[in-house]
Amino acid sequence: MNEPSAHLHFASHRLQEVALLFMAVVYTIRLIWYFRFPAAQERQAPTGGGWSTPDKGILFSLLIIATPWEMESTRKRWFLWCQFVVFHLGVAASIALSFVIPYLPKLLTSTVVVGGLQLILGLACLVGVMRLVRRVGNMHMRAISSPDDYFSLALLTVWLGIAAATAPNNVTRGEGLQLTYFYVTAFFLMYVPFSKISHYLYYPFTRYYLGKSFGRRGLFPIRRGPEPQA
Amino acid sequence: MNSSLERSWKAHKLIERLGQKLNRQVVGSLVACVHCGMCTESCHYVLANPDDPTFAPAYKGDQLRKIFKRHYDWTGSVFPWWVKAATVDSEKDLEDLKDIAFGKCTNCRRCTFNCPMGVDLAAFNRVTRGLLTYVGVMPDGVSVVSKDQWEIGNQMGVLKEDYLDTLEWMQEELQSELDDPTMTIPIDKPDCEVIYTINPREAKYDPRSIADAAKIFNVVGEKWTMPSEGWDMTNFGLFSGDDELGGAVARRVYDKVQELRAKRLVMSECGHGYRSTRCEGPNWAKYDVPFTMESSVVTMLDYVTSGRLKVDKTRNSIPVTYHDSCNFARSCGMTEEPRELLRLVCTDFREMYPNRADNYCCTGGGGAMSMSEYTPRRLKSAKVKADQLAATGAKIVVTSCHNCVDGLNDLIRHYKLDMKVTQLVNLVATAMIMPEKVKPVAVPANGATVLSATNGDEAFALAKSEKPHLLTLDLAMPGKSASEVFEELRRDPALAGLKICIITGRPELRKTIYDRAVQPPEGYLDKPLTEQSLLTNVKKVLEVAHHQS
Repeated sequence: MNEPSAHLHFASHRLQEVALLFMAVVYTIRLIWYFRFPAAQERQAPTGGGWSTPDKGILFSLLIIATPWEMESTRKRWFLWCQFVVFHLGVAASIALSFVIPYLPKLLTSTVVVGGLQLILGLACLVGVMRLVRRVGNMHMRAISSPDDYFSLALLTVWLGIAAATAPNNVTRGEGLQLTYFYVTAFFLMYVPFSKISHYLYYPFTRYYLGKSFGRRGLFPIRRGPEPQA
Repeated sequence: MNSSLERSWKAHKLIERLGQKLNRQVVGSLVACVHCGMCTESCHYVLANPDDPTFAPAYKGDQLRKIFKRHYDWTGSVFPWWVKAATVDSEKDLEDLKDIAFGKCTNCRRCTFNCPMGVDLAAFNRVTRGLLTYVGVMPDGVSVVSKDQWEIGNQMGVLKEDYLDTLEWMQEELQSELDDPTMTIPIDKPDCEVIYTINPREAKYDPRSIADAAKIFNVVGEKWTMPSEGWDMTNFGLFSGDDELGGAVARRVYDKVQELRAKRLVMSECGHGYRSTRCEGPNWAKYDVPFTMESSVVTMLDYVTSGRLKVDKTRNSIPVTYHDSCNFARSCGMTEEPRELLRLVCTDFREMYPNRADNYCCTGGGGAMSMSEYTPRRLKSAKVKADQLAATGAKIVVTSCHNCVDGLNDLIRHYKLDMKVTQLVNLVATAMIMPEKVKPVAVPANGATVLSATNGDEAFALAKSEKPHLLTLDLAMPGKSASEVFEELRRDPALAGLKICIITGRPELRKTIYDRAVQPPEGYLDKPLTEQSLLTNVKKVLEVAHHQS
């Protein structure tokens, strides 16, 4: 394995550290801003008996994304839910790759690891394209989309594609791919706090408060009746 | 849009007010939406208008979100075009916002349940309505109803004398129907177990439901009352988004319950009324409610399952289906109790699909029935519900909500369905087995004279004047409580020799008699009574008395 050039070393280390630090600072400010809003209090007497409590509601709410049968929107459109899973696995894999290349490059000597990463990243990139097509082609999606929605999705799709190509970490034909990946990653990290991609920062809070309130009101976990007979 | 320099006063106040209404839950919902579109098909408006994207929940939510982003969020403040942040300037902007917040959403909360991010779109559509109401931009119907509720104290402008007249009328109807003068609708009786509040629609258009509830309370021997003020448990603050109105209306009800020292507030079947009073009212009014609040569905279910109310389900044999009110099911978790009760009082209950938290709105929710300008839009969106109803094959649709009754009746007429709408209270009243009345003929036939009193005071006076050998006392009686009358009788030296036999269908109330520091009654009989058991006991008590003397 060749030693990385000073340029690649900068891009994969210092640049990433600065970008991560920037992202952390902006997120911290963002959370301080968010927590300055007072939380609404729930004064109603609890309902729901044993099956539903605030704690159960919170847990149900936070895990709902992993239980697609609980929401009609994911239950009926399971293919979109699968896309969501693949896409987010790809994002996680790409983030992991940005740490593996500089700190654990030996992992990428395994063809299994590289193959697995490329499969996930490649599929996630494909899902990104499908999501872009849906966003552009569906009039309901167009009506709710902002430039940030298009750009964030395009950025992630490109980043996932580059990550898939970079995963073998082969610099025998030059460092161009690695450099591109790390520069895009750094841009991505600095752009995220200002974009819709930062939704994961809020997910725990929106889900927590909804689950707490709905758990107190006997709504979460959702109680369902029997399915219609054929 | 115009520049902010030309911003109207109303638009300016709306933006200012938004800043005051933001809390962590609302802000979370405003910033967390990723525009994934998963909520789109959960909305009945979208399903009925597939070619109009302005009905999509996320689109509707964006109308508030864009103002929030422009004025209270950093990215939108710096790069508004990038995140589609925008402001409101003109009256037309406000009218457009009104059209969406009031005319394209019933706040049914179905989208909230289908949002992967946990965005409560219905909650912030209500915030949008509240902002518009604050600056006086709202449908005329909402304005009129809100005014009535502020000024007259109920949302249908029913005057106090009319309300009391209606209760009196229903009491007379009940007494005449059952040929029983003990059937009463007590008003402002203190220290009751139950205080019963209603939807003004009942007083105005559907008094039969009041009579049915009264019949049930009387038959089970409940110690109950209706209040002369603070009787409207509905709350237009929920629909208009006006938390001040919401708080004031809820407080009126709570204060009256406190004043009368009732133990439980029971609300008639009304989805939004129940939600407003039971769930949201304490938050709006900042009131820690010290008494129990429950829906009459729960109360009736308790009566039937505990055996206090006997029912014959074969009296309701026409196929019925149940429509879950949005406020009941998606905001208060009341999905199983109505079904349990339905299965006890009907022979042919058929589920509607989807149901419970997945059910579709009746399309009359969110105050839609008071906004006539949106009626064609509402009825078009009702196609979804009409199809759902028709698929059940039921002839009766039951719902625990007065808004839903009106909404469903409207769509049933519009789509020419062969169905009618009713409420659980009506079915329970139909299925109810009236306890056999004790006919005094058996006793006179055996040589005794029978004197009757219809309440405690009358019984006491009659006992004093006529000095009977035996007095039977029903624990459920109008006016003064039976246990009080019992103690008074026992403590009166002039009635020292009077034998008393307690009759009741509520064995749990025994202790109210036997715990009294006076001589216990000579006899005790459980309902239902037969003439034979009454006669045997009367003889027994009198024989013992004779031997003792």
